[in-house]
Amino acid sequence: MDTKWKSRKNAISTLFFVLGASLLLGGMAGIMKYKPGSVRLWQVNELFSGDYQNNYRFQDYITGWFWNFLTMAAGGSLKESWGYGMDGYWGSDYYGGWGDAPDTWDYDWEAWQDSMDEMVDIYEETEEEWDRLQNEGAWEEAKDALERMKAYEEEIRNLQEMIQSEMGAGRGYGLKEPTQEEKDKIAQEYHERIKGDKNLLYLISYEDQVLYANTDLLSGDGNMTAPKGYNFLLYFDGEKVRIIKDGKELDIYGDGYYREESSWQEAGERRNWYVPGYLNFPVDEGMKKVKIFLAAAKEPVLYLDGSYGTGGNGQYNNSLYWMNYYCQENREILKKEAVYFILGLVLLLSAFPGRKSRREMRAKIAGIQAKIWVEGKLLLMVGLLFFVFIIIKCSKQDYGLWQELGEIYYYEYGFTNLFIYGKEILKNAHPAAWIVLFWGIYLVFNDFKYNKKIWNSSLCGKLYSTFSVKSLSWPPARKMALRNSTLFVGATCYVLLLLGMIFWRIRGYGNNRLIFVLVVFGAAAFLLTAYFVGRKNMETAKDMEIISGYISEIRNGNYQGIEGKAAGHDLQKVMAELEDIRHGLEEAVEEQLKSQKMKVELIANVSHDIKTPLTSIISYVQFLKQEEELPEHVKDYVKILDEKSQRLKNMVQDVFAVSKAASGELPMHMEKLDFGKLLCQTMADMEEQIEGSQVSFRTDLPESPVMIMADGQRMYRVFQNLFQNAIQYSLAGSRVYVTLQTKGVMASASVKNASLMELDKEKDFAERFTRGDESRTDGGSGLGLAIAQSFTEACGGEFLWETDADLFVVKVSFRIAE
Amino acid sequence: MGECVLVVDDDREIVKAISILLKGEGYEVLKAYDGLQALDILSTHPVKLVLIDVMMPKLDGLSALMRIREKQNIPIIVLSAKSEDSDKVLGLSMGADDYVAKPYNPQELAARVKSHLRRYTSLGDIHTRRGEDEIVNGRLSFKTDERVLYADGEAIRLTATETKIVELFMRNLGRVFPAEEIYRRVWEEEAFASEKTVMVHIRRIREKLELNPKEPEYIKVVWGIGYKMEKQEKCN
Repeated sequence: MDTKWKSRKNAISTLFFVLGASLLLGGMAGIMKYKPGSVRLWQVNELFSGDYQNNYRFQDYITGWFWNFLTMAAGGSLKESWGYGMDGYWGSDYYGGWGDAPDTWDYDWEAWQDSMDEMVDIYEETEEEWDRLQNEGAWEEAKDALERMKAYEEEIRNLQEMIQSEMGAGRGYGLKEPTQEEKDKIAQEYHERIKGDKNLLYLISYEDQVLYANTDLLSGDGNMTAPKGYNFLLYFDGEKVRIIKDGKELDIYGDGYYREESSWQEAGERRNWYVPGYLNFPVDEGMKKVKIFLAAAKEPVLYLDGSYGTGGNGQYNNSLYWMNYYCQENREILKKEAVYFILGLVLLLSAFPGRKSRREMRAKIAGIQAKIWVEGKLLLMVGLLFFVFIIIKCSKQDYGLWQELGEIYYYEYGFTNLFIYGKEILKNAHPAAWIVLFWGIYLVFNDFKYNKKIWNSSLCGKLYSTFSVKSLSWPPARKMALRNSTLFVGATCYVLLLLGMIFWRIRGYGNNRLIFVLVVFGAAAFLLTAYFVGRKNMETAKDMEIISGYISEIRNGNYQGIEGKAAGHDLQKVMAELEDIRHGLEEAVEEQLKSQKMKVELIANVSHDIKTPLTSIISYVQFLKQEEELPEHVKDYVKILDEKSQRLKNMVQDVFAVSKAASGELPMHMEKLDFGKLLCQTMADMEEQIEGSQVSFRTDLPESPVMIMADGQRMYRVFQNLFQNAIQYSLAGSRVYVTLQTKGVMASASVKNASLMELDKEKDFAERFTRGDESRTDGGSGLGLAIAQSFTEACGGEFLWETDADLFVVKVSFRIAE
Repeated sequence: MGECVLVVDDDREIVKAISILLKGEGYEVLKAYDGLQALDILSTHPVKLVLIDVMMPKLDGLSALMRIREKQNIPIIVLSAKSEDSDKVLGLSMGADDYVAKPYNPQELAARVKSHLRRYTSLGDIHTRRGEDEIVNGRLSFKTDERVLYADGEAIRLTATETKIVELFMRNLGRVFPAEEIYRRVWEEEAFASEKTVMVHIRRIREKLELNPKEPEYIKVVWGIGYKMEKQEKCN
């Protein structure tokens, strides 16, 4: 119940607010629109007084008449009189014929000549246009232009005839002054035309002699009492003008200077009366004899001309009547608008206490707005503006805006005019347009206030995100293919468009400008697509580079310190997988290193533990060996013990060395040395062993030194082992070949020997404890090749061995040092 | 009775073996089975040389070594199952005079003991005798006027060629000579098959002056480059 009431209250409050604001705004706009120009907004009394004389137009009319009368009195030509002349201003104004100067029956052949020249200009322009259109192949338009040209031609001919006839008839005064008779005739005619409208009473006298008057209610003696029904009096005594309105005299001259305070466009400002008598606007001698008395009716009535004798009846100009009529009409409207305004104000005030709950309402509206895509909002906005435009258009208040808009292109003043017209339109726009505009802006503000980034919810964005999220799970190749095909489709569309246009042109359809615009837009769109696709692909290419760098780093054994690198976009998944592999590899290598280290430690400990008892064994065997009195067979036993203990010692040392070398913990002392010399020295060092063996060594070493980087001591051990092997396992009487060759940047030494035993092809001789002859029990530890291999590799060399039938070949290669 | 040698090892059999070995050489042997015991004996007996194991209960060899060095300047040979270079360097830097890895070669051990004792007892004043006509390197000294090489004060019988080679090395301690250069300077001929010839001579010299010719300390092969006389850091 409570919530129901609350929501109802909310709704009412909102309704009040919306209605109130609309009415207030509408009322305001209406008042602004319909208020008399000369009345300020806060002059409430005058605003609703309905006094048509407050309107500045009334002032213009009065001064217009005044000047005409002055001219008539002074005997001047109305045509060339001050102020509002005969042609030009009258009737051509947007406000419709105000003021009732004589009809433009008094033609001016000069004006005709002007308009004819203008016509010729237009004709020539049209001719050019026709030419152009023909060239462009716009046949329809060209035809139209041709029609117009014909019309203009016709008009020009008419004008020419008129000018000639005028001049021929002698009626064209040309530049010459009309005669006094003619002037008087014009003045008389003017008097005849307006005298029937008794809303304006006038009395014109010259040298105290009444020339024209349409009433006897006025006297030329300066008696300023207004006749009944007339509240506006203007009296000119030849020096100054006095105006009495509603019995009160108006201050006409102010500080005594006349100022053009505003132009007609800025209507609404009170302006100085355009009458003589200012310090800067004195009267001449002729005028001093003139007296003019004017009176305007308080409530003008319609006067009709009933002169059937002279050819029909009709209305007099009745300017004041119609002025008053419209003024009254406006007053009614103003009243109505004021009611709206006040009602709106009241509603707004009554909605004021509920403003807090309205905030919820606003938020709710914003919530709805948030769901609308920004494109929809834009569309709505455009629709709204269109609606406002329609309102303006329908109330026929667009004035010449569209024409003026066109003129901007042709005339410099076009822009200023546009501004003035715009102002005019805004001022006179239908209140509904204002209301619609206001609520549109209100909603936009509301949206911005609550939803902040309104473009977050856009159809394009949504499409893009769904598309890209969807494509994210695709394999990169598919994504790239999609992109490429997009580009291809784009290119195809563009080419088709171009081809279509070329075809179109050949057939002569369409116009150049449209095609140009389409081509430019098409090119821009195509280039943009190409750019984006290219950029995406470039990103992918960069990512591929990163990934390949990553792979090669992993290949080079660098598992750490590359985590910072990341490829995004298409290859994110690949990158993640690669990272997994890297991680796995890192872990495996670490694990392996750890276990290797443990193994080495274990071996070190074990060998240490073995060495201690072994020391005793060796020592006591030594003592036993020194015993002289042992029986022969015991001496044999001791000999075996000695051999085996020595072998055990070697084995322990070798096992330790191999495990250390294999784990990479062997301390290395790398230096530049001569490979050939190393071989020589090793052989020289083993000279005795070689001499004492049943094999002979054949060497083939280069004369010049072959420098390599290695640890000499370790490499000595390598070749010592190799030569030892060769000596031990070679066929008796065979030769061992030791060669050193350089090939490119590599130097490789090889040791070849014919094996005593048949070589098992499957056997890995470099494997630890592997021996050619399983049953052999010499001093070797069986680690010779293993040590040679691991030491060579620890020095950065390459150790290869192969068997060819009974030929056993070992190759040790190093990179030649510079 | 000969000089008094202290053997320290927690392995009694090894101590016994060494003692048998050294007694055979004519030394008096004292036995200790841990570091503290060794320090005790050292404070009460006129010990001339110490053989000490590294890994022992109570007080390990290296700590005991440092304690001994605080008071005495006698030769100390470290015996250890740890045979790596780093272990050797550590032992020597702690004040040991020598480092013998287990399992040792009994003859070598005896030779080393003998060498150190000789130098310590009879050649204690070796520094004073050093002059312009004598080049000293570790336990070796070469008298340039006599052109005789002494090892632990004993003259070593060398052939004329060997003497020339030794002189070359002693005059250029630490310098590496390629075989060709040695050949040229010693034989004064153009080098031919120099490597083998030089090697043969060097091996012979080694057998005469090295304690363990298989693991030479003085004349060393710099593999792939040449030969050199190692400059001994300890010249006492």
